[in-house]
Amino acid sequence: MTAAELPARAMAGAPCILRYRAVVKRFGAFTALSGVDLDVHAGEVVCLIGPSGSGKSTLLRCTNGLETLDGGDIEFEGAQLPREERTLRAVRRRMGMVFQSFELFPHFTARQNVAEGPRTVLGMSQTDAGARADALLAKVGLADKAGNFPSALSGGQQQRVAIARALAMNPDVMLFDEPTSALDPETIGEVLNVMKALAEEGMTMVVVTHEMTFARRVGDWIAVFDAGRIVEQGPPAQVFDAPATERTRDFLGHLGWTG
Amino acid sequence: MTLDWSVVWAHRDALLAGTVTTIFLTVATMAIAVPCGIVVAALRLYGPAPVRALATAYVELFRNLPLILVVFWAFYVLPILTGVGLSPLATGLAALALNVTAYNAETFRAGLNSIRRGQTEAAMALGMGRLQALRRVVVPQAVRRITPVLASTWVSLFKDTSLVSVIAVGELAYAAMQVRAQTFRVLEMLTAMAALYWLLGYPQAKLVDWIQRRYAVTE
Repeated sequence: MTAAELPARAMAGAPCILRYRAVVKRFGAFTALSGVDLDVHAGEVVCLIGPSGSGKSTLLRCTNGLETLDGGDIEFEGAQLPREERTLRAVRRRMGMVFQSFELFPHFTARQNVAEGPRTVLGMSQTDAGARADALLAKVGLADKAGNFPSALSGGQQQRVAIARALAMNPDVMLFDEPTSALDPETIGEVLNVMKALAEEGMTMVVVTHEMTFARRVGDWIAVFDAGRIVEQGPPAQVFDAPATERTRDFLGHLGWTG
Repeated sequence: MTLDWSVVWAHRDALLAGTVTTIFLTVATMAIAVPCGIVVAALRLYGPAPVRALATAYVELFRNLPLILVVFWAFYVLPILTGVGLSPLATGLAALALNVTAYNAETFRAGLNSIRRGQTEAAMALGMGRLQALRRVVVPQAVRRITPVLASTWVSLFKDTSLVSVIAVGELAYAAMQVRAQTFRVLEMLTAMAALYWLLGYPQAKLVDWIQRRYAVTE
């Protein structure tokens, strides 16, 4: 699908934060991404949906250079994503990432986890980094857990700390890699609420998710993946209520999505 | 056979001096072998291919040589190779450090490998470099995880320092053997030596167990 064929986009006037063009990624003989085109505009919540193994997470991991591309390119704020480690680090500072398995640092308290980026990467003083951490933990509703180690937190709490940790770098874009897939059903809501609040503040977000209700309500733009390609993209109302392709209808049908 | 335990007390100064040297050798060896072990393990895991091969060769060489052979080798061959004559104490320390560094490197390598890749990725996603991620995230967790192994290495090392007595380093075993040679009180001196090693070694093992419980990290 070329840009000309895409449906109207509410945020199309905002500057383009991420621009994926013909992105290809292979793992050995397996092609995880075979030519993906996607734009992410400032302030948008772009949700990547589709069956497992369709390339959503791989695209996210290519975005901040955790995986290297085998073809095409990714532009971040108008500049091509660097391959060289040092310049790549400067770019990563401006992208927050939240992982499916949280990946909090278990030897640090919640506060230390959040303060770690500002401390180590930005060289902020311990006092300032601690203050920033406390403010962000309050923002995700965990002010009283600042001194807890991750092992003493529930999954939902750990993921909220992980979101605060990513926000501590003041990123221009947040990347969420299935942030609720490893959570108990009762704690999924608290994480989604934090993400929703973040979206309402105008944070640019790319979210790989299986939470269709979240994608439908919070997403501004939906990209449906299948077998390493985007088979359909558009505003949620269109993708969910009037899917244009058979693959999207199949996928949503399997999830029991009824609109 | 009559036993004369007064010989132990009579030579308490020599035994005490030997004990101090034994403790010094243990502490100094570990002080060298822990950081060096980390470096060798990191080179073996993350270094460029030739460096990796070199680090691997070092570890496999010293891990599979009897320590006493390394001690003799350091005493007789090292001065010829390097042209530097070290004191027996420094030679003994070098031999112990070479041996224990190899063991620690293996321990650290296993520890570093046991930390999930996602931890490094989370650190790098924040903008850390590989070294920063190692230093701040991976190594501290690996160290906690391998504390029990380091602890048993420590206790082994404490006893193995006795091997440097063969090159006349005046540690506990050497001191006790000297007294034995002068007084012919074999049973008393060997018993005193055993008691001293045990009394010193046991609390160390317990202390390390405690440290391990105190700093254990659960996920």
